[in-house]
Amino acid sequence: MAGLLILLVFLLSGTVLQLTFNLPLPASILGMLLLLAFLLIRGKTPTSLTQISNALSPLLPLFIIPVSVGIVTQKALLAEHGIALVIILAISLIPGALVSAWIMKGSKSDL
Amino acid sequence: MINALLQTPLFWATLTIAGFIIGQHIYNLSGNNPFTQPVLLGLALVVFVVEISGTTYDTYMLGGDYLHQMLSPVVVMLAVPMADFVANMRRQWLRILLAVSVGSGVTIGIAGGLTYWYLADTVVANTIMTKSVTTPIAVAIAEEVGGIPALSSAFVMITGLLGALMIPSILKMAKVTEPQAQGVALGVCAHAIGTARALELGQQQAAYSAMAMTLTGTLHAIILPLIL
Repeated sequence: MAGLLILLVFLLSGTVLQLTFNLPLPASILGMLLLLAFLLIRGKTPTSLTQISNALSPLLPLFIIPVSVGIVTQKALLAEHGIALVIILAISLIPGALVSAWIMKGSKSDL
Repeated sequence: MINALLQTPLFWATLTIAGFIIGQHIYNLSGNNPFTQPVLLGLALVVFVVEISGTTYDTYMLGGDYLHQMLSPVVVMLAVPMADFVANMRRQWLRILLAVSVGSGVTIGIAGGLTYWYLADTVVANTIMTKSVTTPIAVAIAEEVGGIPALSSAFVMITGLLGALMIPSILKMAKVTEPQAQGVALGVCAHAIGTARALELGQQQAAYSAMAMTLTGTLHAIILPLIL
């Protein structure tokens, strides 16, 4: 449970940062950046954090269902423009994939 | 009795968890086919019940919010894999950063531009620009920039599925065979679903895809709220 506490403390810190400086970034993202900085400075991830990460990651799809159900409020838009939006999504993928692949092409594999 | 039950937050929270578990079972039975993502099946079940019972989204969300509240800590948690990747990038960090920022910038720029051209609607155009990152981050960005979180989630899922389907063939046609190039392209354009697809191509592709998706998420989380 210490891992969950760490996450919540960093989330709260992100919220404090956002409120204090009136920042345009979401509190959760500020919390993530603070935690990232902490982990990089520390050089090693605390075991409790790895444990909570392993426990929560498989549940991620569950946590995104409620916001996704909100799609029921967008029926008019989707009925009218849904197909066009899917086509836009498909078209925009092609140059993105090619550009990132070409930039990586000349590199040596490191991982 | 049933009508009273449909008004209770607990019913909707329970249904959401049940939908997710059923989705997970079907996903496992299908041999982890990306088109049977647990979230898609769970979502379909919940949407079906919400619709046939004539429940409003606000009523559903009284219960859905129990689970939704976990999204913020999950976003913070994404720093854990990110820290590992930053430590692993070694000599190649400049090239990877370039591939991720230019590649993802091109794909969301085109999507946002085309949507604005087609609909002349800034809200939908801004929302579609959250498409290349994992859903928790996309939703956080959409909430921050006045986009539509539900639509953002839908765009992310559709992009992931399209990317997993299209990118390996696009790269094949372009004669890209390097594992690091395949992995980064999948991670940049198709986030977690792309990374699952990359794993079918190989371990190296999957490692690069996971790194690229995490980097894209962090980069967009910082930059999009500032420019939208």
